[in-house]
Amino acid sequence: MEDYSNKLKQLEPLVATSGVSRRDFIQLAMMTGLSVTAAGSMFSKAVAAGTPKKGGTFRMGMEGGSATDSLDPRTYADSVMIAASLAVYNGMVEFDNAGNPTGELLESWEAKPGAVEWIFNVRQGIKFSNGKTLDADDILYSIGIHRSGDTKSPAKGILAQIANIKAISPSQIAITLSGGNADFPVIMGDYHLVVVPNGFTDWENPIGTGGYTLASFEPGVRLVFKNRGDYWKEGRANFDTVELLNIQDVAARTAALQSGQVDAVNRLDARTVDLMKRNKDLNILRTKGTGNRFCFVSRVTSPGFSNKDLRLALKWGIDREKIIESVYSGYAVPGNDHTLDAYNPYYNTDMPQRKYDPDKAAYHFKKSGLNGEITLSTSEGAWGSAVDCAQLYQESMAKAGITLNVKKESADGYWSNVWLKEPFCAVYWARRLSADQTFTQVYGSGSDWNDSDWRVPAFDKLVEAARVELDEEKRKAQYFECQEMIAEDGGMVCFGITDYLDGYSSKVMGTQAHARYDMNDLRIAEKGWFA
Amino acid sequence: MLRLILTRIFLGCLTLFAVTILIFAATEILPGDVASAILGQGATPETLAAFRIELGLNRPAYVRYFEWLSNALQGDLGTALTNKREVLATITPRLINTLFLAGYAAVIAVPIAIFLGIVAAINEGKWIDRAANIVSLGAISVPEFFIAYILIFVFATNLGWFPSLSTVYSDMGFWQKIHVVALPSITLTMLVTAHMLRMTRASVLAIMSQPYIEMAFLKGLPRNQVILHHALPNAAAPIISVIALNLAYLIVGVVVIEVVFVYPGVGQYMVDGVSKRDLPVIQACALVFGGAFVLLNTVADILIIMVNPLLRNSR
Repeated sequence: MEDYSNKLKQLEPLVATSGVSRRDFIQLAMMTGLSVTAAGSMFSKAVAAGTPKKGGTFRMGMEGGSATDSLDPRTYADSVMIAASLAVYNGMVEFDNAGNPTGELLESWEAKPGAVEWIFNVRQGIKFSNGKTLDADDILYSIGIHRSGDTKSPAKGILAQIANIKAISPSQIAITLSGGNADFPVIMGDYHLVVVPNGFTDWENPIGTGGYTLASFEPGVRLVFKNRGDYWKEGRANFDTVELLNIQDVAARTAALQSGQVDAVNRLDARTVDLMKRNKDLNILRTKGTGNRFCFVSRVTSPGFSNKDLRLALKWGIDREKIIESVYSGYAVPGNDHTLDAYNPYYNTDMPQRKYDPDKAAYHFKKSGLNGEITLSTSEGAWGSAVDCAQLYQESMAKAGITLNVKKESADGYWSNVWLKEPFCAVYWARRLSADQTFTQVYGSGSDWNDSDWRVPAFDKLVEAARVELDEEKRKAQYFECQEMIAEDGGMVCFGITDYLDGYSSKVMGTQAHARYDMNDLRIAEKGWFA
Repeated sequence: MLRLILTRIFLGCLTLFAVTILIFAATEILPGDVASAILGQGATPETLAAFRIELGLNRPAYVRYFEWLSNALQGDLGTALTNKREVLATITPRLINTLFLAGYAAVIAVPIAIFLGIVAAINEGKWIDRAANIVSLGAISVPEFFIAYILIFVFATNLGWFPSLSTVYSDMGFWQKIHVVALPSITLTMLVTAHMLRMTRASVLAIMSQPYIEMAFLKGLPRNQVILHHALPNAAAPIISVIALNLAYLIVGVVVIEVVFVYPGVGQYMVDGVSKRDLPVIQACALVFGGAFVLLNTVADILIIMVNPLLRNSR
């Protein structure tokens, strides 16, 4: 019952964009116990609510900020500053809800065959909040601050592939890469890459093309934004004022939402979210399986783990469903032994989801000819519940007759002392921008972070070929094969990908699940409105 | 007496100086260096080296210490490494917030503790004494975040009397602040009252076994008059020191309360600074905390000298 009414609330915003038919909507509404007439008027109301309305003060309470924050895009690392940045600035490239790159300040683009040479068109007629009109030089400067010699920008690495960048005209930019990359526009959507006027350095008084201007900023406490009034995106930036409060503690965020002190919060607690769903003044939005990817990673070059059958035993012997149910209260999706998620356009939908099968695990273990115990290193330092997950893994392996020792490591220094060193350990991976980035950084032979030490020339070749492949069908087939290779042969047991859980007051509209980040790609201040 | 007081002040300054050395040494031995903590994943050997030079980490520690100390003495606490803001400008409003919360809690807690302590001593062994003991001990036996969550649940979520977020801003009026900060200050009151109450009660009762108290009883004074006029003035010294200790705790020990109530105090600033290895921020916060401790204890010592007839009249 609660589940239906919650679904209904999530459907309402979709009505306007004709994502849901009147018939479907009324059917669902009746399941929650409403009469046909009531459901019908609710549908009409939802249609009306679907048109963005202007006005109001929107208050967000978010985790992921700190007293050391700054609006210099080279320092961004967590949600609060990404959300703040996207209120004041615009990115180069935006992503639609399915995760495909769409034009933002770089309106459109074109690649020459081979995907080495790119032409980007700069959107025309856009004004910064200081009145200056956007041109190609602003874009060059905004990219340049992440590339110049001594920059500390985390985006430096992903921009290293740019061999040459120049403006052909005030409205066009030509970029030459050091090697082909059909995903390059996705790279340009990285959250560090936002646009400021050419030569801009006064980060305490930011100038951008975004829907809001900064009114006040106390790092780690609060940001206040005022509407600029003439935003270039139609139907966006609807609030008069936006307040972004830093609330690190999840209980404090929950209480603030329940008592109506804020209208939106991020990262709700999976253990209490079912209780909140009962509250009809709240709208709980779940984005399935785009969060952190939780893995137990074996190094395939270590003794024992070099045996493929042993690795298969590890993969069949984990009870993914049970871990997700008991540790994450069901708010995660099972992983399929690679770190790509179902929102990625190249996610392999043909490959069956691997399920717990103690018989298969026992079979492969026996076939491997190894007998003895396996040791798994884990720690709270890997991720908060890594020890719990490891203990459940131990249980399910025992049912297959395999002894798994769980070794608890110190949280301090886990990433430098255990990860990439111990033969079998707990690791989490965050979402990468593209399939190419995922495969290159996590499984590529040349990557320092290839934690399973699985270095396969045939796989590298396939990734390289897919990177420059502009034919979508061929590319898809190549990436499907990549995932099969990793899941079948690789050293990684990726058992779960967490959900994002946002909480909104039910009067906030424009809330949708997004492939990239929670809170509608951290752009809810821009995309939302009050009913 | 003046000489005694001056000695105290001199000793206070000396302690503070020792504290600065400790702070500097502690930040030197924090695991991981600032440069790599700030650069994180994007760190390459060249950027690390360049950044170390920019931070001055290539110079010997004692040179940096004296530079820091002399700057701090002139009121220059430096700029934060992470967001390049003036540390002094950031820490001042937060320190005012911290002092506001501490003062608010103290104004409630100190009179209640002393009053109940005296009442308990007067009624030693009676129900009111026991009730005061049980309630106050109960309040410090549960963790502070637990009290905080219960208060939020009852007074913010259910009754809606007070907000659950206690964030204060510079544009708020005084009474508005009083309302917003009510829940954290009540939480703190519950935490510090017991200690002061029991110390008041114990030191009053300790005096009660003295011969001159017995004399007072013998000349026919009622119990409450004996306690208020004869016992209490002589029991003041330990009470003053325990109050000073608790006030210092209210200033430096409330990070958890700041987190739960989202209160922008110095504690949260320091925690953020430590997690990012922002040295000037950590040093400034530690200096403020150390200073608060030393100052409060010195004031307590001076007060003790002033209330003690023996010390007051010594030459």
